[in-house]
Amino acid sequence: MSDLTIRWPDEDAERIEAARGRLELAGQGLARRGFESVMAVLAEVFDRWHAPDSTFRRRLVDEHAEAAGFSPQLVAAGLDLGLADWDGAALSRAIEQERRALLAEPGRALAPFASTSIVLGGAIPMPSLLQPVLSLALLSPVLVRPASRDPVTPRLLAESIAAVDDEIGRAVEVVSFPADDAACLARFLASECVVASGSDETIAAIRGRLQAGQRFVAYGHKLSVAVLDAELVADDAQALAGAVALDVSLWDQQGCLSPAAVYVIGRGAAEAAVRFGDVLADQLEGLSGTLPRGGAPAPVATDIVQERDAAALRAAAGAPVRVHAGAGTSFTVVVEPDAEWRPCPGHRFVRVHPVGSGEALSAALRPLAAWLSSSALAANGALHDELCGRLASLGASRICPPGRMQAPPIDWPHDGRPILAPLARAALVDPPEPA
Amino acid sequence: MTSAPGRPADERAWLDAELLAWMAEPVWRDDDARFDAIARALFAWQFAHCEPYGRYCEARGVTPDGVESWRDVPAVPTGAFKELPLRCFPAKRTVATFRTSGTTGRRRGELHLDTLALYEASLLSTLRGLLFPDLGAAEDARPSRIAMSILAPDGREAPDSSLSHMFEVLVREHAAPGSAHAVHGGRLDVDAVAETVARARSRDEPIALLGTAFAFVHLLEALEARGHRLACPAGSRIMETGGFKGRSREIPRSELHARLAERLGVPEQRVVNQYGMTELGSQFYDSVLVDPYGPRRKLGPPWARVRFVDPETGRDVAPGERGMVVIHDLANSGSVAAIETADLGRAILDATGEPLGFEVLGREPGAEERGCSIAADEMLAGAGR
Repeated sequence: MSDLTIRWPDEDAERIEAARGRLELAGQGLARRGFESVMAVLAEVFDRWHAPDSTFRRRLVDEHAEAAGFSPQLVAAGLDLGLADWDGAALSRAIEQERRALLAEPGRALAPFASTSIVLGGAIPMPSLLQPVLSLALLSPVLVRPASRDPVTPRLLAESIAAVDDEIGRAVEVVSFPADDAACLARFLASECVVASGSDETIAAIRGRLQAGQRFVAYGHKLSVAVLDAELVADDAQALAGAVALDVSLWDQQGCLSPAAVYVIGRGAAEAAVRFGDVLADQLEGLSGTLPRGGAPAPVATDIVQERDAAALRAAAGAPVRVHAGAGTSFTVVVEPDAEWRPCPGHRFVRVHPVGSGEALSAALRPLAAWLSSSALAANGALHDELCGRLASLGASRICPPGRMQAPPIDWPHDGRPILAPLARAALVDPPEPA
Repeated sequence: MTSAPGRPADERAWLDAELLAWMAEPVWRDDDARFDAIARALFAWQFAHCEPYGRYCEARGVTPDGVESWRDVPAVPTGAFKELPLRCFPAKRTVATFRTSGTTGRRRGELHLDTLALYEASLLSTLRGLLFPDLGAAEDARPSRIAMSILAPDGREAPDSSLSHMFEVLVREHAAPGSAHAVHGGRLDVDAVAETVARARSRDEPIALLGTAFAFVHLLEALEARGHRLACPAGSRIMETGGFKGRSREIPRSELHARLAERLGVPEQRVVNQYGMTELGSQFYDSVLVDPYGPRRKLGPPWARVRFVDPETGRDVAPGERGMVVIHDLANSGSVAAIETADLGRAILDATGEPLGFEVLGREPGAEERGCSIAADEMLAGAGR
């Protein structure tokens, strides 16, 4: 007997078509229920996710850690921090605030998209929890393609919505298919609104497949930094390093909110950077025990070794470079002598740069401005205000204290945009002419 | 730093002479003892004469006295060649500097040479052994020259390109009259390639098309746009090298080879990928011309050896397992012989578990691995900064 598998050639594509058919009906259900009713369900869903002992959250810790290659401790800690302020009230507040603004003018109306297709990317569950919910709040049913490294979160989200309200739960369809399956992709993207997260290449590839009338909302890859006043480092390096180490370690530095570089700014920056690097390495060492890093893919581990060894060679040649390396490639801190950008392979690899002034910081970050997402900032008074202005003008869409980088509020303007408006279709209805 | 006690003052000359003699041998022989002896002597020389390398090794607790095998010699990352000059001679004795390709404003790796003798002897011996095994020496009855079309700029246009220098040497030694470069001012002259092929065809003599993978992609696209095919005569071969990093288009190597075969009439078994890098004095080639029935794998000269290292432990992986490619290239006598690359590879083994050669493995898609974060150097490279 031969081992013969017969595969219907369009099986995945047919599955997507079937999901689309179900979503059409589900969309009618959303329209019938209306905003308040749907919002109440979504708020209840977020309240459940907010509860540390929620079944779905426990399942996410177990299943996501295995699928994404994170340690369970790290996933638990990441969710604890990320969901601490994400409850039903916060979700309702964020959505209602924007919705009110969209409907503020007389005659304004929102017309839900018949469906929204969402291409998720990366391995961090927080955006995957929020993105479908935003479209649902606009009464648009969603077709979701999970990221290859996070097949779990969208499925659990859909289950958790269905557990609260079966009818609203039917408005989320999660479909997986190979990235190179053009037939599936074409069917998947046939929504009035398409949302995608991914690399520039992914975004460009999707954009190239869309029709002129389709709404496209893209979130590209980004990076973040941390900026610390040298005086505060001198005052309490331990506390600052603990907070930055947490920012670096959570999600193994694979998110756009993870700092890739730390800039120590102001008088005495060079000495403070060296001191900070020492303490940061200690803190990362400690977190290696409590929040173990997942395995680094071989290409990334190779990059880490390359960057470490190149730094060690520069040090051997007399450059004031310091390298702190954990066991294997578990973490790396490289203290640089200047603010020049150098590669950061991620997976808990961070460089610490001294920088003399705000102006010098702007000059150092300007080449990265197009990709700057967020910044941790530890500074007080006038320096704080100056650096906030500089970072915002460079494109940072969030500035927060160290230790809070992985806990953006629900209404964080991702990539500098409102969370709801890009997904909404607005209409202006003129009053009828007097007879 | 000073020479280790007991070493002759002209040890570098002795080392180079030993290597040149090895490179001049008509038949390659793998000789463990010979490689090990020269590698360790070369390490002692480089440890003593390349100060940053010596300190780097000392910081790792490795000195010539403690090295029991060439495998113990510390490797430097290719990235280090972007950071500082790694040479074992005074800068004023530099006769050539080859630089890695790179976009404006980005650091470029540099290999400094105080002699071209070893470099050229190594590349010629390897080209003769693996890309032109059918060419004879000057006194041989077999032809020693072949028509070539070079899909890369010549040495005047790209004086710091090691690839262009390699082609210069190859043209000098083995190109038949009428051979020509087909890249001028950054543009590929498709007509020039077609003419060189047509001339070879009219004489029914094989031709060698050599160049960068990206230049071949341009050639294919131009020919496809015109609906043209080039019918290279039997016995022709193609050598392509380099990747697509920072380019707008990237195609898998197997697809490139298939398209070259289809459009240029050179069977895939005669399309050879070269694995080399500016930082190395030696290169590696696909085995297809010397072992057409065996598995496609990379082969190199006996004075260059490859290890595969687990980046987490720094130790060699088990035979056949994937690891970081570390190359010990004795032709790098004036620089650093042990190079840690950013590539992954694995040994190809025969039925008894003996290595036959190696393959370089593609890097997995980084975007998915990194989540929504991405190394900013990739962003900057993409933006052409």
